[in-house]
Amino acid sequence: MKKLINEPNAYVDEVLAGMAMAHPDSYAVGGATGRMLHRPQAVADKVGVVSGGGFGHIPVFAGYVGDGLLDACAVGDVFASPDMNPMLESVQFSNTGKGVLCVVGNYGGDRMNFDMACEMAEMEDIETRKVIVSDDVAAAGPDEAEKRRGVAGFVFVTKVAGAAAAAGMSLDEVTSVAQKACDNVRSVGVALSSCTVPQAGKPTFEIADDEMEIGMGIHGEPGVRRGKLRPVDEVTDEMMDMLVADKPIKSGDRVALLVNGLGATPIEELYLVFRRAKARLDDLGATVSLHLVGNYATSMEMAGASLTILHLDDELETLVKAPASCPFWGA
Amino acid sequence: MTLTTASLKTAIDNIHAGIDPIGAEMNDLDGRLGDGDLGVTLVNGFNNLAGIKDDLPADIGMAMLSSAKAITAVSGSSFGTLMATALMACAKATKGREAVDWAEVPDLLQAAQDAMIARGGASLGDKTMLDILDAIIAATRGKEDPGAMLAAAKEAADATLDSFRDKPNKIGRARVYADKSIGMDDPGMMAVKRLLERLG
Repeated sequence: MKKLINEPNAYVDEVLAGMAMAHPDSYAVGGATGRMLHRPQAVADKVGVVSGGGFGHIPVFAGYVGDGLLDACAVGDVFASPDMNPMLESVQFSNTGKGVLCVVGNYGGDRMNFDMACEMAEMEDIETRKVIVSDDVAAAGPDEAEKRRGVAGFVFVTKVAGAAAAAGMSLDEVTSVAQKACDNVRSVGVALSSCTVPQAGKPTFEIADDEMEIGMGIHGEPGVRRGKLRPVDEVTDEMMDMLVADKPIKSGDRVALLVNGLGATPIEELYLVFRRAKARLDDLGATVSLHLVGNYATSMEMAGASLTILHLDDELETLVKAPASCPFWGA
Repeated sequence: MTLTTASLKTAIDNIHAGIDPIGAEMNDLDGRLGDGDLGVTLVNGFNNLAGIKDDLPADIGMAMLSSAKAITAVSGSSFGTLMATALMACAKATKGREAVDWAEVPDLLQAAQDAMIARGGASLGDKTMLDILDAIIAATRGKEDPGAMLAAAKEAADATLDSFRDKPNKIGRARVYADKSIGMDDPGMMAVKRLLERLG
């Protein structure tokens, strides 16, 4: 393991401390076990929006605490769900009487713990709702879409939910538009190298120097195809084909496009992916209303990239493009 | 006689006093079939419960809710999550009361079982602690004396372990070792038996 870290067991807490120190106007560490990252002050008179999940994907999840995004976020160990207590603390912090929406990635532990946190919140008379992000088309076919993992699509769903809450929508309205974003977002990734969980000390999986794996999950879950590395245009085409096959794009459609780096891939290469993906969308006659290129949902030091497309209507377009601010939101 | 927060504290004390050997036995048993964290879950869970028991409120529902939180704070394992789920189901049914008739306990166990099935996705017959709980509910229904209920629950636990020993596990990591699990006691079922034994 070759990492700039101290004790592996202190890794998550020390990173959170660094984030709060670097951005004191955006983040504060809270909760009984210090596993909630939240805004310095709760924002009164709006629906709360929270998330939570395993660490190692920054900016996902906790990095998106900010204006027009999340109010608070529960933080687990690397690639492991937080327990339900910081989730409950996040809900309690964010509730100012209008209820709280939880944006949850489709992983067993995250879902189960958020279920419990919401039940606990209910006993304290806090109204909660959940939306489940399951955007990875490589994880399961359209007939089993509910089994798909949540990956970079989380960024768009969180953006939409946060903007809806900031616009003063009710809990049911925020939930419904966030659900619409979940229903209309698709992602697929490609991994070129593995990553190492600090507490494990060795790479999560093995992959040869000249190989890539299309469809690999952000914790190294198996993808759909492993093969020789190809030129970036061909790899991008393969990913675009999977996205378009799953949810067709017609002339006149509007989309938001995220070209995401998994951690160790240079931004230069992400621009190559973007260049090709944008050309493909132009060929299809689609309008790219918003595009992001950068590291938005990472997997430690994994090399590779993912493509995320959110299909837009007027409401989603307005919300995804609404102003937002956090240290990682560059739109 | 009624079930109160004082009864809950006594149960926590009795189990906590003997949790270390139970933890060692469960780690060993679970290590052969599951991911080997059952014993750790039980030991950490009851250590934490022992730490908060003196602060439990008189409202038995809220006391069980606090207990559920205490278990989830030390363990994200499936067994810990299911124990907390069971306590939360009982908490919902008893919130606002300081005493519950013992005769109501089988109904609380039924609520706990329904909640665990909903959350964990296991079914009766899968060779899990749900099967033992099902037998306990049947054996204790209609009884009012806590001593007689405990005796009936222990008998039901033994009988269920005996009847499932030669069946395969059908859910969780142990399912992968379904053939290997034949002839072995399910770790979660055995844990319920050991906890009952500590109650008196």
